[in-house]
Amino acid sequence: MLVRLSLSARLALLFAACAAAVSLLAGVLFSHASEGHFLELDQQLLDSRLVGIRKALEGVDTPGAFESRRALLLAELARNPDEQLRVYGPDDGLWFDSLPALPAVPKAGGLSTVHSGHGAFRALSAPLTPERPGSPRLALLLDITHHQHFLQRMQGLIWLTVSLSALATALLGAWAARISLSPLRRMTELAGGVSAQSLTTRLPVSGLPPELADLGQSLNAMLERLESAFERLSAFSADIAHELRTPLSNLLTHTQVTLTRPRTAPEYEEALHSNLEDLQRMAQLVNDMLYLAKAEHGLMPAGREPLRMEAEVDALLEFFAPLAEDAQVRLVRVGTGQVQGDRGMLHRALSNLLGNALRFTPIEGEVRITLESGEGQLRIEVANQGEPIAPEAVARLFDRFYRADPSRQACRGEHAGLGLAITRSIVQAHGGEIECGCSGGWTRFGIRLPV
Amino acid sequence: MKLLIVEDQAKTGHYLRQGLQEAGYAVELATDGLSGQHLALSGDYSLLILDVMLPQRDGWQIMQAVRGAGLEVPVLFLTARDSIADRVHGLELGADDYLVKPFAFAELLARVRTLLRRGSQPAQETSLEVDDLRLDLIRRRVERAGLRIDLTAKEFALLELLMRRRGEVLPKSLIASQVWDINFDSDTNVIEVAIRRLRLKVDDGHADKLIHTVRGMGYVLEDRR
Repeated sequence: MLVRLSLSARLALLFAACAAAVSLLAGVLFSHASEGHFLELDQQLLDSRLVGIRKALEGVDTPGAFESRRALLLAELARNPDEQLRVYGPDDGLWFDSLPALPAVPKAGGLSTVHSGHGAFRALSAPLTPERPGSPRLALLLDITHHQHFLQRMQGLIWLTVSLSALATALLGAWAARISLSPLRRMTELAGGVSAQSLTTRLPVSGLPPELADLGQSLNAMLERLESAFERLSAFSADIAHELRTPLSNLLTHTQVTLTRPRTAPEYEEALHSNLEDLQRMAQLVNDMLYLAKAEHGLMPAGREPLRMEAEVDALLEFFAPLAEDAQVRLVRVGTGQVQGDRGMLHRALSNLLGNALRFTPIEGEVRITLESGEGQLRIEVANQGEPIAPEAVARLFDRFYRADPSRQACRGEHAGLGLAITRSIVQAHGGEIECGCSGGWTRFGIRLPV
Repeated sequence: MKLLIVEDQAKTGHYLRQGLQEAGYAVELATDGLSGQHLALSGDYSLLILDVMLPQRDGWQIMQAVRGAGLEVPVLFLTARDSIADRVHGLELGADDYLVKPFAFAELLARVRTLLRRGSQPAQETSLEVDDLRLDLIRRRVERAGLRIDLTAKEFALLELLMRRRGEVLPKSLIASQVWDINFDSDTNVIEVAIRRLRLKVDDGHADKLIHTVRGMGYVLEDRR
């Protein structure tokens, strides 16, 4: 299982690993370079020493000749105490060994390194007289223990540097990450304090680094949406209570007054009828609110049947015809159009608009439904002649329980100010939009539905 | 015609029984799911009215048991929960109708009558007659006391509905649904206006009125002499 590390820890570890890798690489390169450099120095030193030895043993090619030069050789060797020598005859017989405890030296010519209890030695193997074959062979050994010590100390230093730089960058990284993430912690604290009572809280965005400012702004926007939704919900609950209170209070008062003394049968009947009206209003209100709640929460998926809207609109106009004739208003449908939608829901949405339009159209006026297809959408406009709606009312027209004219509340049978809210939620459930505008003596409700 | 109501709300059950009895039906009431199922399985009933939420056995289970026993009795569900899923579930199980509380009693009565009528063969009528009002279904003509009345197509359909179901109080929602195919509670007074205009043509000038308003319930066509 992956261990979940904090961002600071991850950054610190990453920095430390980087620093360690870089300093390790530098150390390795440096140590290689110095080793090469030492090798070069040793080669030069051994070469120069070889010259002295060859001079001391010049012309020697038998053990006897060698013995005659031994004193000279020892004197030469005594000048360089860090130097040991072996001399082999042409038959590989050992003629001379200044320090027998040392391990054997590879016969091949050139530089090599040998280790022994006496320390490390650089060995150079070379013939005594290079131009003559079968000459005795020399093995010159140079004590390089102090070089090795130096290299070892340096390696120790490199490791120390690696670990110290890793530690330092880790600490630095952790500190830097902590400093840069501190606004995040402040955001967390603020967000943790947000509740239904304190939705007005906003994060201070100005002081944030750009990477976090976006997040802060998004969070603020979210808080704003939540706040307005919450306010609307609170207002909705208050409105429901208010809307139910009126008929309830009617029912209570009327029933209690009726029961205070014996009444005649027609009086009881009248009381019951009056109660029935209030009850029907309440039932209608509850049903409408449930419908609205379901539509707005996507619990009422709009069906998708192909609808020829001109036929649907004509059916609705036929339904409203008696009412329109009564009000002496002309009902007109213009254009055609098809849409995939829920027949019942669209009927309801359009019927709310038509009902409203008829209510506000003056005698001899006209209500016109225009269907228009194009650009992947169907536009349905319900327009009626009449007084324009006040601009401040237009913006709130689709709000629940909003009534442009509060005195119309008593108007019987009316949808307690929920009709347009229901219409809008139906349109939105179809992925469409609705808007309202007034111009030139017409009030227009425009619906756009995606086809 | 014997009906069974299974409803655990005592008040609701009591009033439903009273209302249906006064409409001329024999009604039995069970107040829990188990006794309701027991009664329903006896097979004596022409219609079952089941509440969905019941103690011990819910309405769905009772209907499953009834259908499982091979009984074809029509079932009408009453429910306070109105979700598409519930509705679909009910209809899948074989419910015949579905009413969401709060509902108008007139609406329930109208649906009960529709369900009870469903089984019987509708008489092949060529004309309908109430008192001196005569509706000729073939020639699509209406006469009252021998005088021809001119009606629009919708007015004719409305009058036909009222005459076919004479004596029954028809709620506005049922009229809207049957005559105009409008299947939601419209907030307009279209039906009132349509009835008023029909009344003007049918009843005006006649001493005996046939179309009556039942306040708060709906409309009925009957000879009240």
